[in-house]
Amino acid sequence: MNPDFINNDAMNSDPHQRARLLISLSGPEASNPERSWLAAHLESCPSCREFADSTGQTIRSLRGLSITAGARLVSTTQLRVRQRSLDLQRRQERFWMICTCCAAVTFCSAITAAVLWRGCAWMGQQARLPAPLWEGGFLVIYLMPAVLVGILLLARGTFLADYNGSYQDWS
Amino acid sequence: MADENTEIARGLRRRDPDLLDYLIEKYQHRLLRYLLYLTGRREMAEDFFQETWIRVLERGSQYDGRHEFSTWLFTIARNLVIDDLRRKRPASLDSLLDVDGAAPFDLPATGQPSAFDATVQREQNEQISAGMQHISAEYRESLLLRFQEGMSLEEIATVTGAPLGTVKSRIYRGLTALEPWVKGARL
Repeated sequence: MNPDFINNDAMNSDPHQRARLLISLSGPEASNPERSWLAAHLESCPSCREFADSTGQTIRSLRGLSITAGARLVSTTQLRVRQRSLDLQRRQERFWMICTCCAAVTFCSAITAAVLWRGCAWMGQQARLPAPLWEGGFLVIYLMPAVLVGILLLARGTFLADYNGSYQDWS
Repeated sequence: MADENTEIARGLRRRDPDLLDYLIEKYQHRLLRYLLYLTGRREMAEDFFQETWIRVLERGSQYDGRHEFSTWLFTIARNLVIDDLRRKRPASLDSLLDVDGAAPFDLPATGQPSAFDATVQREQNEQISAGMQHISAEYRESLLLRFQEGMSLEEIATVTGAPLGTVKSRIYRGLTALEPWVKGARL
């Protein structure tokens, strides 16, 4: 029971307002003293009694209103939810695959960068090239795979968007 | 009940499709009723019904199991409706008060009482149903959550994001706004 169920409201200055509010909020929250006070007030106030009857009727009617969902709506929703669930699962799997690939590529790059650098330096010395030139060559060779893959992915994304309206819907 | 909520939270984190099937069936009528009262339109409510369950699937990990699942579900449904309204035009739930072309709420079949009682009850329900379509969506929502869902005032405040005093006021004013329809049914 909550003793402050009604007491904190500004409406309680007027006993009729307080009674009507208590009637409207009829529920388990009202405390015993509040219930007793309301019963006593209703004994002596015909207008609040009439309001209580009317409100009781409204609440009974509200509880009597029934709305049911059709079987088709339920089965369609279940189907849509299952499809979306599969879609999210696939997306999650793809995400982890991409993460694993990125980690593997980073690891391989870190290992091969030193070897590639030495290889380029050796070739630069053999060909008597100035250092900035073979260093630029190293950068191009080192970044080329990533640039190519990026271009391919972008092209694929653009193609899918043109083909299907949106890239996301394709999967 | 807390155990059940914890189980639901665990299943939602796993995106368990069987659990979702079960939840959709369990809450089908309550969620649709809430959305129907919120929007006042059956087609719109059915669209939001589907979207709500997709959102539950996507954001299931956010449900911690400490609150009632239905409270969380209704909050999601409500936010979807509000977001949709905001996308179309900056508005609150009040913009759903426009009832032109709205499909009437379904009414229950007459129950066990006598034919006369059942007819009177049905008439009263029809009047209340008509009245519900004419009152503010915020009042409608609070009345539904209170008297059909049996939620506490605190739970209603959580779902609607409104202070407790506002919730009390909406229920009181909603019932008062429905009074003419109750009286109409009595005439």
